[in-house]
Amino acid sequence: MADASPGPPTRAGVSLNSEVADMGGLGVGIGWRAEIDLSVERMAGVDFVEVVAENIRPGHLPESLAVLRGRGTPVIPHGVGLGIGGAELPDPARLAHLAACAEALGAPLVSEHLAFVRAGGMEAGHLLPVPRTREALDVVTENVRRAQDALPVPLALENVAAIFGWPEDELTEAQFLAELVERTGVGLLVDVANLYTNQINLGLPAVAALDVLPLEHLSYVHVAGGYEHHGVWHDTHAAPAPEAVLDLLYELCVRVDPPGVLLEWDDDYPSDATLTAELDRIRSAMAKAAR
Amino acid sequence: MSTADARSGPEEEVRRRLAEAQARVLAALVDGAETPEGFDPERMRVQAVSLVAKRRSVVARMRPDAARAAGDGLAKEFAAYAAARTAPPPGYHADADDFAAWLRAKGLLLDEPPAATEPRPGGEGPGWWRRAIGRLAGDA
Repeated sequence: MADASPGPPTRAGVSLNSEVADMGGLGVGIGWRAEIDLSVERMAGVDFVEVVAENIRPGHLPESLAVLRGRGTPVIPHGVGLGIGGAELPDPARLAHLAACAEALGAPLVSEHLAFVRAGGMEAGHLLPVPRTREALDVVTENVRRAQDALPVPLALENVAAIFGWPEDELTEAQFLAELVERTGVGLLVDVANLYTNQINLGLPAVAALDVLPLEHLSYVHVAGGYEHHGVWHDTHAAPAPEAVLDLLYELCVRVDPPGVLLEWDDDYPSDATLTAELDRIRSAMAKAAR
Repeated sequence: MSTADARSGPEEEVRRRLAEAQARVLAALVDGAETPEGFDPERMRVQAVSLVAKRRSVVARMRPDAARAAGDGLAKEFAAYAAARTAPPPGYHADADDFAAWLRAKGLLLDEPPAATEPRPGGEGPGWWRRAIGRLAGDA
């Protein structure tokens, strides 16, 4: 299916049809946002980008993304509204949109979150943690399989930042994701800022999570900043990443050579220089682990 | 990849239980319902505030006219609006338009503005000049 993509040619060596994408060398990237489209285009050191899938129409891509694809820069559709951790089967229309985005962008994979976003006719407007029980695992497993069947490229799931936990939790998020990977072959998008958030907010040790996650299934990594308020970490994606998050990236890179690492910055956009400096900090943490 | 038939999914009963549990949590977070038993009420309060902040930032991007009208009082006005609505919004579009209507009802937003649009897609339509100028600035 992916071969019929009308988009620009895909990078040599990227196997679109294999269940585990050959993600070799995505490099260091940044989340493409309309507000910083020109910055992303002109900044040095942007090897790949991610675009929020709900913000684009596959038949009418923003010119900036076409420019990037024309240069051969990989663009990964990143969904936020599927709610694959919800009690309902994933919405076929949302899956079709993700598939169409992947086709239009010639993307090597699609990413989403291990989260629920709606229930009982209500929308949360953001990502909420699923109860990590064996029962819920069965539901999410089936949801992931449905999504995989509907997508022309592999799917990767991201760990989320949580403020609360469920009293009935039986597994850690890392254990839950490890089980999902084992059952479905889904890829991992490890957000080290979210691991840090959960360490601060829920006391879940982040490095221990890295030891449990099956990092051989790593698709790529997210890095972002936030702020602390009254002992709660708010993962706002609107500030430089704290050193502790880059330390976690280093810890991850000691364990595995990540196919890609991407900076997320979603609000209060800074200068190109600040964004470039953030990409440099990411490269430094990766290089330190490689030594 | 149509091996779905060979795989057994969870029982309907399991999905129903999960649906109820998630609906209870969401009702507590966005609809002012009681915090379900066993959850940390303070954490749930912080999560609820965080969801309102997220809604506010998206709505402000979709309806810059409303955000401008609220000005420095945006956080206060949006919190009051969110607390006043009897049912959670079905989505960001409705939320943005309802917030604008709420501001208009308070006399804070005077014009009848356009309906909410998707977050501004970069480089489309009349914004072409912005890209052209931006390129020149970037080259300088």
